[in-house]
Amino acid sequence: MSVENKKLRRKLDRLFVPLTVGPTLVWIAAIIVYPTVQLLLSSLQFRNPITNEMQFVGLRNFQRLLFAREGGSAVLGVFNPNFVSFTANTVVYVGFSVTISFLLGLGIALLLNKDLKGRGWLRTAVIVPWIMPYVMSGLMWRWMFQTEYGAINGVLTQFGIIADNIPFLSDGTLAMMALIVADVWVFTPFIIIILLAGLQNVPEQLYDAAEVDGASRWSRFWNVTYPFLKPSILVALTIRIIFDIRALDLVWVMTGGGPGKATEVWASWLYRTAQVFNEPGPGAALGVVLLATTFVIVAVLYSVFGDSPYNA
Amino acid sequence: MSTKQSTLNRIRQALGMETQNEWPTVARERLVTYALLGIYVVVIWFPIYYIFITSIKPSSEVLSVPITFIPQQPTVQNYVDIFANRPFEHYTFNSVIVATTTTVICVTLGTLTGYSFSRFDFFGNKTLLLSIVGARMIPPIALIVPFFQIMSNPPLIGGFTGSLYDTRVALILTYTFFNLPFAVWIMKNYFDGVPESLDEQAKIDGCSTWEAFFKIILPMAKPGIAATAILAFIFSWNEFVFALVLTSSEVSQTLPIAVSLFVADDFVDWAHLAAGGIIAALPGILFGLFFQQYIVSGLTQGAVKE
Repeated sequence: MSVENKKLRRKLDRLFVPLTVGPTLVWIAAIIVYPTVQLLLSSLQFRNPITNEMQFVGLRNFQRLLFAREGGSAVLGVFNPNFVSFTANTVVYVGFSVTISFLLGLGIALLLNKDLKGRGWLRTAVIVPWIMPYVMSGLMWRWMFQTEYGAINGVLTQFGIIADNIPFLSDGTLAMMALIVADVWVFTPFIIIILLAGLQNVPEQLYDAAEVDGASRWSRFWNVTYPFLKPSILVALTIRIIFDIRALDLVWVMTGGGPGKATEVWASWLYRTAQVFNEPGPGAALGVVLLATTFVIVAVLYSVFGDSPYNA
Repeated sequence: MSTKQSTLNRIRQALGMETQNEWPTVARERLVTYALLGIYVVVIWFPIYYIFITSIKPSSEVLSVPITFIPQQPTVQNYVDIFANRPFEHYTFNSVIVATTTTVICVTLGTLTGYSFSRFDFFGNKTLLLSIVGARMIPPIALIVPFFQIMSNPPLIGGFTGSLYDTRVALILTYTFFNLPFAVWIMKNYFDGVPESLDEQAKIDGCSTWEAFFKIILPMAKPGIAATAILAFIFSWNEFVFALVLTSSEVSQTLPIAVSLFVADDFVDWAHLAAGGIIAALPGILFGLFFQQYIVSGLTQGAVKE
């Protein structure tokens, strides 16, 4: 090999990192950093309905969202009733969905972790709901809960459990329950996958030892499985919570936030504000609130339960 | 007398003690496990079954009481109808183009960048990696306002491209926003699992960094690449929110939007919606059936760091 050639190769080698990392960083700057900066700027602006221009309004969008209004100005200290009720809806929706799907997912993961014939097929059968488009799942469940022709009323009436069809989606509480059912159906597979992976970290000898010691099932889970599973549980719960707060698909196609505003959550409120009502300023302000909430939740979860994010 | 033996019996055997017949307990436990899993699978597949049979029922049967759980007159008419009466070939084409292009971009950049993050110490690499990973926490829905503004009136390239609203390009650019960080992260973790001694050996054999990467390491990373590609494809194929915000006609609308369009204000065309829904869900279901292990490993690599 000639000296020239060697020099060229060394030069090219030195360019490896800049050429492989550079494009990604530029791309990310353009597609993530720039829109995020733009979000912060938009949240401080309001679209003038007459000229259609965006005008700087400071923190007024946030005041409008968070606080009640009287005579056109925000009353600090008194919360906007919409904000209170949509936040409550979000907490109920996320709280119940995450808790139920976590317990269910943990149970199924523990069962699937056993040495079974056909485990691969069972695992496939179990994760399919998560792979389907959320929109399709949402509409599918809307169809299941449909009053006259839905399968749930169909099964209940044909087995004689109820006499009259239940109008699931036109009652506020029932609609929220239906949404939670759909959400649990969609996202439990995610919990199962993460926890099944975590269960591989539990050393088998420890089970053996516990069995020899005559430990009960519960104490075996609590003292052997749980400590090894804890990092996976943290990851699963964190991702599950932050992905549920931002989820629009299911709510939008299943209930559209209704009946009335009974299932309006942050995500649907944000979409309605920004797109349906064409108010980009307040919409962006809600986006900032959502973004900040996400970071706070992750920070709290990890400072309480774990060491550092993504370092499970 | 092999795998079915309990630990206690294995120990008893090792100590030369008499083993106990545990068969009834073991068998019962197995039976309970299968029964529970069986019930679970039947329950979660029931809605999929119900939407599928809806898609092969004539509309008159779909809207009749008592509802039937076995289609009386199965037909593919609903599937024929949606391609005949609605531009479903456009929607399908858009979905394929958008998901494939997004996947290619994310896998290419993700693989190259992931490798560098895995192998090299360079200026600010830890901080950069952490911010790339942190970017995954940004809720996409929070950014619908800026993305709508940016795509309607793109900065820098705007004079050249004009508005990108209602184009497939807008969707592709947007979808890389949540798939690229994920791709970098999975590939970085995957390369971490490929022994560095392989790179060193290649270099001793006279390979440049480029050659070592392309000839030795990349072929070994195929399972990681497959996992990344499948997940990026599924995520892009299923995406709804940005498609809702950034598209308005069949020029760029994808299948999830097409399915939602069957919902009119007060009337839902369930039979045709079901057919469209099945088409939209098909790639995901097929990937799930045939590439389950890649999906699982990709998700695990992406979420949990060893």
